[in-house]
Amino acid sequence: MKFVNYNFDFVGKRKIWFIISAAVIIAGIAGYFIQGGFILGIDFLGGSLIEVDFKEDVKIVEVREVMEDLGFSNAILQQTESNRFIIRTTPIDIETKNKILNSLDEEIGINRPALQDRNVLPGFGKQITRYALIAIGVSIIGILIYVWIRFQLRYGVTAILALVHDVLITLGMYAILNREINTSTIAAILTIMGYSLNDTIVVFDRIREETPRAKKLGFDLVVNDSINKTLTRSINTSVTTLFPIIILLVIGSPALKDFAMALTIGLIAGTYSSIFFASPFLVSWNNRFPRYKK
Amino acid sequence: MRNKKAHIAIIVIFIIIIGVSIYYIYPVNSSIKLGLDLEGGTQIILKSTHKGEDEVTEESLDKAMLIIMDRIDKLGISEPLVTRDYSNNIIIQLPGVDDPNRAIEVIGKTAQLEFRILESVDEETGETNLGPILMTGDKLAKASAGYDSNGRIVVKMSFTTEGQEIFEKITSENIGKQLAIVLDGEIKSAPFIRTEIQGDAVIEGIDSLDEANDIALVLETGALPVSLEIEESSTVGPTLGRDSLEKGLYAGIIGLSLIIIFMAAFYRGLGLISIIGIIIYILIFWGILAGIDAAVTLPGIAGIILTIGMAVDANVIIFERIKEEIRKDKSARVAIGEGFKNGMRTIIDANVTTLITAAALYRFGTGSIRGFAVTLGLGVIISMLTSLVLTRSILFLISGSNIALAPGFTGIKRKHIKQNGKLQKQ
Repeated sequence: MKFVNYNFDFVGKRKIWFIISAAVIIAGIAGYFIQGGFILGIDFLGGSLIEVDFKEDVKIVEVREVMEDLGFSNAILQQTESNRFIIRTTPIDIETKNKILNSLDEEIGINRPALQDRNVLPGFGKQITRYALIAIGVSIIGILIYVWIRFQLRYGVTAILALVHDVLITLGMYAILNREINTSTIAAILTIMGYSLNDTIVVFDRIREETPRAKKLGFDLVVNDSINKTLTRSINTSVTTLFPIIILLVIGSPALKDFAMALTIGLIAGTYSSIFFASPFLVSWNNRFPRYKK
Repeated sequence: MRNKKAHIAIIVIFIIIIGVSIYYIYPVNSSIKLGLDLEGGTQIILKSTHKGEDEVTEESLDKAMLIIMDRIDKLGISEPLVTRDYSNNIIIQLPGVDDPNRAIEVIGKTAQLEFRILESVDEETGETNLGPILMTGDKLAKASAGYDSNGRIVVKMSFTTEGQEIFEKITSENIGKQLAIVLDGEIKSAPFIRTEIQGDAVIEGIDSLDEANDIALVLETGALPVSLEIEESSTVGPTLGRDSLEKGLYAGIIGLSLIIIFMAAFYRGLGLISIIGIIIYILIFWGILAGIDAAVTLPGIAGIILTIGMAVDANVIIFERIKEEIRKDKSARVAIGEGFKNGMRTIIDANVTTLITAAALYRFGTGSIRGFAVTLGLGVIISMLTSLVLTRSILFLISGSNIALAPGFTGIKRKHIKQNGKLQKQ
């Protein structure tokens, strides 16, 4: 796809884009409430997770039976393959865990050792949550300051808004699709933030360069021109970065798939936000608080 | 930089760096250290709380770590890693353990051994009343699992000289009473003291030889000065680990191939140069990872894949600028110069923000997330070098020839280049 000398009207139609963004975000928020909140992984709530490899294909009811007999009727079962299950419960000690594994082995037959065996105390989960939020917060502040220094305050704030926009969309998708949020989701979100920023800064950089021409042509035109000029680059970059990530989405293990899912949504949102949100927003800001006038 | 010699020098430097990297990469299979989630293994995060009246101090934490390492050693686990994190948790990483749950139990056991007199037992409730602590486990010289004369499983304890003296005294003063042997607050056994005992003692009431071995082990290494609570334990079996690794590598290779095809199709000759740059980037990255012995985790692989995307991105930014300049009738050399000048500023801005993110992740993350932060940060820095410095020198040297402006090289259609787009000398 070549966009040589194309001249789409991004800026003029910006009200449409803002409405689309708002709609998607509201859909996400609605999803959050309809689905009853996020599904938080054991990293945040605490709990126990075992992934077991059964010797033969097994049905979920069989596993459910064994768990109920042991007193874990509220265990969450997830079938990852025809003979593999992920079993989640409240935090349990090693004795109990061995009991579960032994029962499953006796009743159905499993391969030892378990594929995966995790245990997180709720208190620790809270600690991880706190630190994840701090990491996000520190990143945002650091980014804001940097962009403020390199450009101006309004660029910094707009960039952060674009970020928040992308993160909200990603989280919204998680809420609607009822996917679990764990620490790799957080890592993905931080990556998306960095990436979306990448994208946004490339456009901002161009705008900054072209701004002197605003005296003659007006800020609106200059911004639109800048977006058009950086369009090819924006799209090409997203495409090349998405290649390996989409492959991961297709062939990855459940953990990798989760990660790739977040990145895919975030990258698409990030590209969208740099083109259709961040720069047009600058124009709106400028119209309200003019800095660049004809 | 217009100086041809300078660019040649840069390329030579990079060739040397590549050479060093390749040196670190061989032998290929063992070059990179894998994180636990790829190799299989157990990670345990322990929180320390005060034991009894002793507060948790730097000293006691250090001592605890030493004791833990001693225990891991006695368990026969190779290449463990015991560290502390930002909030004084102890983090233990054990690669490839056969019985992780047992290892976890042994490691975290406080192992406080006390000898006290059993004063009375409430008939109804079974509650026990213990006298004061007469001797503790630090008076032990050796402990070993074995069988007593009746064939029962016991832990045999031999005391230090001082311990023997005290034990003699205790037994001679309390004949007829029961001596409670208390391990971590649990009365393991309480035999009647028949005579004064000189020498050794045993702990009875043990169910299995495994249990006896474990108790002997922790008694020998000594009691932990702090109480440890297992906050998180995470075991990845080797099957799952290998599975994840394979899939991750697959995705990387297929993705890379797609990127190569794309770059070649879109940017033709420039694309090929960027591909060379990317391959060199991967080599150098690999070499550094192998050299500093960083553990690559699953998110780490994702980070590597991402930074490859970002390296490509840097090239795309610059090439688009170069193409733009060429469309404006600039000569190849000027176009390349301008492209890099404008592109560099953008790339540095964009990459610094990613670095900020990586730093935040490293500071506040644990284990696998840190692995991701490390690969992300390293990748960004190295990719800046290969995209901004190396590619530039290569392009500069090529710009001196006539192929530079051919449409086959840049991917710009012929009609966009004016007829006299010949190379103009600077």
